[in-house]
Amino acid sequence: MTALVLDQLRKSYAVAGQAALHGLSLAVESGSLTALLGPSGSGKTTTMKLIAGLIAPDSGDIRLGDRSIRDLPPERRGVAMVFQNPLLFPHLTVAGNVGFGLRMRGLASDRIAASVAEMLERVRLTDLAQRKPAQLSGGQAQRAALARALILRPEVLLLDEPLSSLDPGLRDEMRQLIRALQRETGITTIVVTHDQTEAVALADRIALLLDGRLAQYDSPQAFYGRPATMAVARFFGGVNFIPGTARAGIFDGALGTLTLPPGLPEGPGVLTIRPEALRFGEGPNPRAAQIVALSFLGSLTRVDLDLMGVPLQALVTPDTARTLGPGTEVQVSLPPEALWLLPPDA
Amino acid sequence: MPDLAAKGPELTDRTRLALLLAPALLLLGGLFLAGLGLTLLRSFRYMPALGLTEPDLAAYVAILTTPDFLKSLALSLWIAGASTILAASLAIGAALLLRQTFPGRAVVSFLVQLNLTVPHIVGAIGILYLVSQSGSFARLAHAAGLIATPAEFPVLTHDPYAIGIILLYVWKELPFITLILLANLQTLGEDHEAVARSLGASRWQAFRHVLLPMILPGLAASSALVFAFAFGAYEVPLVLGQHAPKALPVLAWQAWTDTDLATRPEAMAMAIVIAVVGLALLALVARGLIAGDRDAP
Repeated sequence: MTALVLDQLRKSYAVAGQAALHGLSLAVESGSLTALLGPSGSGKTTTMKLIAGLIAPDSGDIRLGDRSIRDLPPERRGVAMVFQNPLLFPHLTVAGNVGFGLRMRGLASDRIAASVAEMLERVRLTDLAQRKPAQLSGGQAQRAALARALILRPEVLLLDEPLSSLDPGLRDEMRQLIRALQRETGITTIVVTHDQTEAVALADRIALLLDGRLAQYDSPQAFYGRPATMAVARFFGGVNFIPGTARAGIFDGALGTLTLPPGLPEGPGVLTIRPEALRFGEGPNPRAAQIVALSFLGSLTRVDLDLMGVPLQALVTPDTARTLGPGTEVQVSLPPEALWLLPPDA
Repeated sequence: MPDLAAKGPELTDRTRLALLLAPALLLLGGLFLAGLGLTLLRSFRYMPALGLTEPDLAAYVAILTTPDFLKSLALSLWIAGASTILAASLAIGAALLLRQTFPGRAVVSFLVQLNLTVPHIVGAIGILYLVSQSGSFARLAHAAGLIATPAEFPVLTHDPYAIGIILLYVWKELPFITLILLANLQTLGEDHEAVARSLGASRWQAFRHVLLPMILPGLAASSALVFAFAFGAYEVPLVLGQHAPKALPVLAWQAWTDTDLATRPEAMAMAIVIAVVGLALLALVARGLIAGDRDAP
């Protein structure tokens, strides 16, 4: 079932500095966790503010279920938003902050207290209920901000870069908490992030925004194996691009003819292979390669190769790296199932 | 002389703070506290020059038993209270308006700040020319046929409700509170209100439950200053006030300038009452601010 539909949303700003949207369409599945991914200036935060009702679109529609929420004020949309900074209300305690939304709805104070206690338990802040926001650490404040939104059981929960203000050590913990709470509550959630590894680790589906447009909406795996364009492939760390022509399961380009997997389109295109999918040693689509350089990256090593004058990159484990030396000749294989065809760059 | 700069790093934070504060504290202590101390002594009728060396409370008893004093005290509380509440409420609106960007904002902002430079006495005379029964507004209303004679124009100066005085104070102090609030609002930004809205608060609820508590320290401090000033200043009620009862500072001033030197202790006692009310209010606000700080270190 579709929960949230963005239909041809357009937004431009008179003042520079805020990213515009050029006709964004997206249909988010009910109960899913979607990452809205994109570089800074791609329109992620603008999209969130449009959904939350903090700004109005120039044109286009926003629908929740089958009703348009485009013209509703923020408080009547059933959408709650957690901002990049926790933005807790400094004059209220943690419990006061978490109970804020229920208080605005006019609930009885004993019911609010019960809900707040339960919510604080879930985000492990029970002991800090009576603290003021200034006495919290960054992670605690962000958990309180999350609890403050979740307690309202919104139809859609928007999280704007919820991890970016946290120390790296806390990010993983917060990511797991978000994932667990989302599964538990089943609230349709959209997380904004500029970090593709974070999007992959967190989300069921990723919506990649490039220049105010939806570049691809797909599972995390698809962005690695089946990117829609060269720009998408590059954003996810794609580096190997070989122009040529596909015909009858064969790709003809600068590397000679290569066998393609079944089901790829025919005609001119750009062949791509993930750097981690290149194999060293015997295999299908074999080629002789010269090792240009080895760069230690930590858990993986980057290998710069020269294949018949075409520069390619491979990522290998330390075990494989140990067998390789700069300047030596090696045999590599481009497995057909790892090959993917992109449309020619416009 | 020891080289302070070289010794710098050895100074504790507390010593450094004390050294930096010393000049300001000396000035404050020397002029303000000494002045207040002398006033206090004289209000206890300790004036060796006149042969009075036995302090007593006769001056306080004298003023507290005159109906004039109590009426004046009430009038001054009314003037200061009404001016402060009106100025503060209007200032909240003005500050909320001025934090938006709109064409001509710079001009409006300039006009609001402009009257901070106008002396109170000049403003008071201006009010006299404008809204008294012989003033411009009365003549305009008469010329327009709204009233038969200028004397029908409502009595807004030298009136029992001190409307002219309150009008002047609101006009003068409104920009002051507005400026404080505006600085406050610009530091806060609008993000907290956006969060409140996204959590289901209406525009009014976001203001009432989020913005107002957040600007309250600045609002309370600036309002207390306005109250203390309106309560203790004498030149505006002197120009715009009625003959009796007089505002408390006017009463004190007249007692002090009386040819009978014996009324001076009473003038001093009234000055002390004015100072105590002002200081008590400021202390109350300061206590609130410190308590707020302690909650959120």
